[in-house]
Amino acid sequence: MAERCAIIGIGQTKYARRRGDLSMDGLVREAALRALEDADLEWKDLDAIVIGKAPDALEGVLMPELSLCDALGAVGKPIHRVHTAGSVGASTAITAATMVESGLYRRVLTLGYEKQSEGNATWALGGGRSGSQGAGGSFAPWIRNYIRRSGAPEHIGWKVAVKDRKNALRNPYAHLQMKDISIEKVKESPMLWDPLHFLESCPSSDGAAAMVLSDAEGARRAPRRPAWVIAHAKRTEFSQFPGRDTVRPLAGVDCAKALFAKAGITDPLRQIDCAELYVPFSWYEPMWLEGHLLCEEHQGWKLTDSGATELGGSFPVNMSGGVLSSNPIGASGMIRCLEAANQVRGTAGDYQVDGARVALGHAYGGAAQYFAMWIVSSEPSPSF
Amino acid sequence: MTAQEIAIVAFAQTPAVRQYGDSEPAMLMDLTNQLLAETGLERKEIDFTIAGSCDYLSGLPFAFVMNVDGFGAWPPVYESHVEMDGAWALFEAWVRLQVGDIDIALVAGSGKSSPGKPREIFALQTNPYYCAPLGLDPVSVAGLQARALLDAGKASERDFAEVVSRSRRDGLANPNAQVAKDVSVDALLKEPYFAAPLRRHDLPPISDGAAAVLVARGERARQLCERPIWIRGIDHRIESSHLGLRDLTDSPSTRLAAEKLGVHDGPIDVAELCARYSPEEIVLRLALGLRAPTRINPSGGPLCGHPVMATGLVRVVEVARRIREGSARRGLAHATSGPALQQNLLCLLEGDA
Amino acid sequence: MSDLPPASFTLEYPYTRSTGPVVGPFLTALRDGRILGIRCRGRVLCPPLEFDPKTGETLAPDFVEVGPGGRVQSWTWIAEPARTHPFAEPFAFATILLDGADTALVHAVRAGSIDEMSTGMRVRAQWREERRQSIADVFFVPEARAREQRLEPGRGEVEMTEQLISLSYSEPLYPHRARYAKGLLEGRFIGQKSPVSGKVYLPSKGYDLLERVRLTEADDVVVANTGTVVSYTVITPVQYYGQKETEPSIRASILLDGADQPLGQQDIRNIPIAKFRAGMRLRAVFKPPGERELGELDNRWGGTGSAISRWEPTGEPDVPFEKIAEHNW
Repeated sequence: MAERCAIIGIGQTKYARRRGDLSMDGLVREAALRALEDADLEWKDLDAIVIGKAPDALEGVLMPELSLCDALGAVGKPIHRVHTAGSVGASTAITAATMVESGLYRRVLTLGYEKQSEGNATWALGGGRSGSQGAGGSFAPWIRNYIRRSGAPEHIGWKVAVKDRKNALRNPYAHLQMKDISIEKVKESPMLWDPLHFLESCPSSDGAAAMVLSDAEGARRAPRRPAWVIAHAKRTEFSQFPGRDTVRPLAGVDCAKALFAKAGITDPLRQIDCAELYVPFSWYEPMWLEGHLLCEEHQGWKLTDSGATELGGSFPVNMSGGVLSSNPIGASGMIRCLEAANQVRGTAGDYQVDGARVALGHAYGGAAQYFAMWIVSSEPSPSF
Repeated sequence: MTAQEIAIVAFAQTPAVRQYGDSEPAMLMDLTNQLLAETGLERKEIDFTIAGSCDYLSGLPFAFVMNVDGFGAWPPVYESHVEMDGAWALFEAWVRLQVGDIDIALVAGSGKSSPGKPREIFALQTNPYYCAPLGLDPVSVAGLQARALLDAGKASERDFAEVVSRSRRDGLANPNAQVAKDVSVDALLKEPYFAAPLRRHDLPPISDGAAAVLVARGERARQLCERPIWIRGIDHRIESSHLGLRDLTDSPSTRLAAEKLGVHDGPIDVAELCARYSPEEIVLRLALGLRAPTRINPSGGPLCGHPVMATGLVRVVEVARRIREGSARRGLAHATSGPALQQNLLCLLEGDA
Repeated sequence: MSDLPPASFTLEYPYTRSTGPVVGPFLTALRDGRILGIRCRGRVLCPPLEFDPKTGETLAPDFVEVGPGGRVQSWTWIAEPARTHPFAEPFAFATILLDGADTALVHAVRAGSIDEMSTGMRVRAQWREERRQSIADVFFVPEARAREQRLEPGRGEVEMTEQLISLSYSEPLYPHRARYAKGLLEGRFIGQKSPVSGKVYLPSKGYDLLERVRLTEADDVVVANTGTVVSYTVITPVQYYGQKETEPSIRASILLDGADQPLGQQDIRNIPIAKFRAGMRLRAVFKPPGERELGELDNRWGGTGSAISRWEPTGEPDVPFEKIAEHNW
């Protein structure tokens, strides 16, 4: 019934605190041109463009699809702009995939970006007021609650912080390149919001990530192995209501259930080879391992502690370095989806998981209330 | 053209008002409840919810998050958001339904222009290096477009006034209109300029408001209402952001969208055009080749009420209303975004024979 | 509720934009009194773009000086300039085809009156006395009015440009919010109880979102001034524009007795961080009646405005974690 969708080209910018060498046009073009080149296509070959970005106040540019359309070859074409807070990059990739799946559009460029250095994320998260608690300040009490509920030892967060930064050393695009990262360094870094130390928190980055999505025929003609979209899901719940579980939001559980059902996955930890999870603060790795049914409640930290989520482990997570190593908010969710595709195409270079056949890309946003995820595979119809 | 038949089965809008004394989520809650009551659906039967709104209009980054309160999101729901007019949310819902795995979508657009200064806010849509620092606002760009039309001999100031006079008179019959009155062309032409050659009455009012529609696929659509309004197609296109590269007297993106949809493959009984400034209606009529007997903006159009971020979806609602009432069979709704009709969306609607 | 002032807020930030390989040289030349276009397949684009607008191909940095004179292609006379416009007195915006360019630039023309403006007229660039490395450093005048200017060339390249964006918003408090605000001024907490679920929301948003029901004044209830800390975070302030905080402080959510949703955004400055904990019992100590103010309270933000002077421990035993675990927000 639905048309199939495949990722046939990917492109990213080098992520950095400030890409002072680029204008806004230049930032999005760097990623888009790389994706087009990877797909061996030109601007004129695109049928539609779907961009995603976090609040416009981060750059002070309103509805940027209007001022960026020329730079993205969109004149004369449909351009669409998704905004779902931190999950936007993944939401955008999914919206773009549905455009291909509908049969209406054959080749779609999807791109997420943030030129975060132009404004200030903490300012924006605080609604432009003094005393912003930032994203970490909102999540910290929930993380403490998780630690209490699960009985997790305090070093789990530090371990994730070290793992992701070490992975980033293998990723030339990653913002943070911390050659001397260690548990000690993480522990000694200033406490931002108990229990999160500075080095357990994501950086603020400039960057853009793009993918060229196509239908099955386009995938057959693509120069490199395509990554097939097997399933995708999005779920949302209210930010605040009596009785809300902020540690293990039901929307996250439901989203994973819907995703796995659609993909025909019954044992995700074994049937998925690796995952790019949206982990902007270290403890969210074990929290999402549980919250998205990859392991049992209260067991997520044990999986992390065992080393299973390391690059060489049984379930690698955030091989690219993750959000902890690069965080242009509007792009971060798309980077997760892109890196999942990167893995199953076998193009992840020094952080390639051998034989990765099925990968999960995930993002969350808002008050841990928006979830968007997809499963991609090197095979159009993998069996599980 | 499309594999799946998708129809609007119910629609609702709040009246456009100068100041809605409560929140955007409250407006959306009322509309959601109205649509559910009309169709007898339960919230959980809505497979996909998608809304359009603008944080900057609200003056709060992440303002859109609170709008979810209005739609309902417990238990958790499949929903998304575009920072665009609700007409683009409709586009996404229409595309999504054609994947074929879900049946019903709730679409909304909402915005309150009353708290901020739209003229200052919307200047931020322009190029951040070359235009935004000059505070180049949409009214000024509309003025440039008006001047270009006069210079090209494609319209006169009297033509602008006629659009206003007709629209505001038609608004008298529209219970959702905010500004409606009987005023003659000659009286309008006596008013002073505001952004010459535009006068204040050539501009839309400042409005708060919202609109919502339920769309459904095929058989489900027929189950949910007696007279589904079929969406024959939606297409949108954009022009350059650099005014020096555009011909402001024309709307090539609208014409292209019309060609893609086959707009002129049949008669257009009614067209609701998102003409925010009177010259925009003239440009759109010319680009679309609309002429009598096509009835243009029987609702009065945005000149009578302009709830930014809903105003395009309101055009869809107004066409749907006329098809349901039987005064039209085939209609065209137009939505726009950006200065001087930079981006344009067309939605072709048709009732059963 | 019209006796309460409207809630007003200014969203303001000085954005710093890197200019890149084309806008950079353009603003550098502008600083030095010249206007540049860029060559693109036999044409000259002004303002210059990084790419060919027709094909999308990246352009070589082949700049050429254009203007400073040119012809007005279209114009509009702004009788009532906005605060953000280049001039406080009436002026024109115009599309201007500069000499040597093939595409028009949009800019401001300072003419004495609308009568001086006409399509096809010649205008000439003038530079402002005080310049900020921005497109707004220049403006245009009818050619006859132009005066000779000599600009001292600057040093280095303009790699950054700043744009201060300041937007003001103001709206009356919504009825339910105004009643909540009045309650604060009277030294009490007014929430709303859903007639469907019985849940008490404080501060209420005027609806029960779980039941999708609007609430009215009949649903108002007074909620106790005492409550339990259900969660908190210690914020170490980060420096950013508009930040006034300098010391770490506690921000807590307090579940008032009788409410089903915690009151958030409570800044606690009188209880040492080391002594603060979830489960603590606190009492709101309102300021003396004449000193209570609404402060930053608006329709979406502000917790308790400036009506409370502090939260005091009541001395009661802490509430066990299990009893408050579901109110973690």
